[in-house]
Amino acid sequence: MIDFARVQKELVECSKDAEGSGIKVSPKTDNLVLLIGTIPGPLGTPYEGGVFHIDITLPDGYPFEPPKMQFATKVWHPNISSQSGAICLDILKDQWSPALTLKTALLSVQALLSAPQPDDPQDAVVAQQYLKDYQTFVSTARYWTESFAKASSCGIEDKVQKLVEMGFPEAQVRSILEAVGGDENLALERLL
Amino acid sequence: MVSDSIAAVPIPSAANTKNPGKKKRTNRSAKLKQYKIDARREQWLSQGAVRSKGCKDGVDDEGHAPPSPAEKHIKRSLEPLATRRRGEEDDGLIHHDSDSESPSNCPNSCNDSGTNFTGSSSGGSSSSSSSSSGGCCSGNITEEEEDDDEEEDEGDDGCLDDWEEMADALAADDKHQQSPCSDSPPAVQTVLPGEMAHGSNFGSPNSKPESGSRLVPWASGNNRAWRADDAFRPQSLPNLSKQHSLPNPDRRCGGGVPWVRTSMPSSCPICCEDLDLTDTSFLPCLCGFRLCLFCHKRILEQDGRCPGCRKPYECEPIETEASVLGGSLTLRLARSCSMIERNQYRCGLIQSQSMNNLSFLLLGVLMIGS
Repeated sequence: MIDFARVQKELVECSKDAEGSGIKVSPKTDNLVLLIGTIPGPLGTPYEGGVFHIDITLPDGYPFEPPKMQFATKVWHPNISSQSGAICLDILKDQWSPALTLKTALLSVQALLSAPQPDDPQDAVVAQQYLKDYQTFVSTARYWTESFAKASSCGIEDKVQKLVEMGFPEAQVRSILEAVGGDENLALERLL
Repeated sequence: MVSDSIAAVPIPSAANTKNPGKKKRTNRSAKLKQYKIDARREQWLSQGAVRSKGCKDGVDDEGHAPPSPAEKHIKRSLEPLATRRRGEEDDGLIHHDSDSESPSNCPNSCNDSGTNFTGSSSGGSSSSSSSSSGGCCSGNITEEEEDDDEEEDEGDDGCLDDWEEMADALAADDKHQQSPCSDSPPAVQTVLPGEMAHGSNFGSPNSKPESGSRLVPWASGNNRAWRADDAFRPQSLPNLSKQHSLPNPDRRCGGGVPWVRTSMPSSCPICCEDLDLTDTSFLPCLCGFRLCLFCHKRILEQDGRCPGCRKPYECEPIETEASVLGGSLTLRLARSCSMIERNQYRCGLIQSQSMNNLSFLLLGVLMIGS
């Protein structure tokens, strides 16, 4: 049985200093089992400026068992699956401690964004790119941040769809959108 | 005569004050005690018989001839002392020596057990029953002691219960606190003569040769326990001995230091429930991370690591405690656990001893009051 008193308290605590840390946790459903956490991309990283949503599922044993966390926002990161958003982080597995909270766990995830561990990858492709072609990794990560983690670019697929409907080839639309950082109007100018 | 009887009184009675303490401390087995008392008594009776036959003046030694070479040796080593004493005290009558000798003999021959001392005291009284007021006094004390002894034999568990109740009372209401307190005064009163003598004992140079060596460590061992409020000493005297019987007070205090120093969270960081008195006295890990007993138990059932430092908890006191105290004490389990963990002991007695720590009690009272 989940300790709802504790979860409630955590939510309150988290909302108290949401301004300071930028980390938010809000219930997805009424039963406090499914939550959604939000972390800002750390400054000075390719994730800067992005807002990343993380699906949180509380197991029955919480807080004695770690919460299940998974990126809902697509992220290009060696330790986060680019497909599923699964996170490879020890404190979410064997190093979990009941003294940790959702907020501290999210802070750890945020720290992971700024300090990738390619030696212990979740996404092998990303990790290879990180090790072999760091510049490409950075630009890809930035593009993904622009594409998926920014409120303005939330509907990048919609933009692609729109431009494609205008008659531009999809591949070109995507590359130009990536180049201009997802700005629809700039992309249109380029395409024209 | 007067001066001598005064000089003689403190000695047995000082020993008497020690006795409850010693007894409780050595209260491992009532049978053993009884056995020792009986043996001792027999010895003294036989000594008395020998004396009545053989010794013309009845000085010290009568009984010592029969028993053992070791005692002879002791006797001899004591003889100069007795003689010197007699020299100092002008009216050194025959009885005085027997009086002063018997207690002085005791620390030597029964140093390791208060029980023996009881026996020897009674021996002293029997040997000097025909003699001075000092002997008379020691006889009284002996009787009291024996009563006391039995009371304590059966009352020891009761004592534990009292202090358990005390702890419960602290958590629940203050009323129970009266019961252990009201329990102890009779015991204290019984020992009262001894206590007075105990007080004078420190001032009396006479007592030094015999009991000084024993008293000093005893007192210093207890300093920690009741230095805080000496004034209340008589009330909690029976408990004092229990504290004294802590096998290793220093270690206990060492373990207790983080307990005192770490800030006290008001609620369990794991379950966010308020910590009650038991929980606040519970320090399961040296890292100082506190949590309530429920969460602690739950963690022990799982990976058993401290949430604060991720180190495994050193022992699993619940099982240990259960096996030590048995099923009848299940209610105490949690508390015992906490105490034991804090003190890092496995002995069940300690827990009640810790409860007796007055500072702890005061803390508890304050917490209830607030």
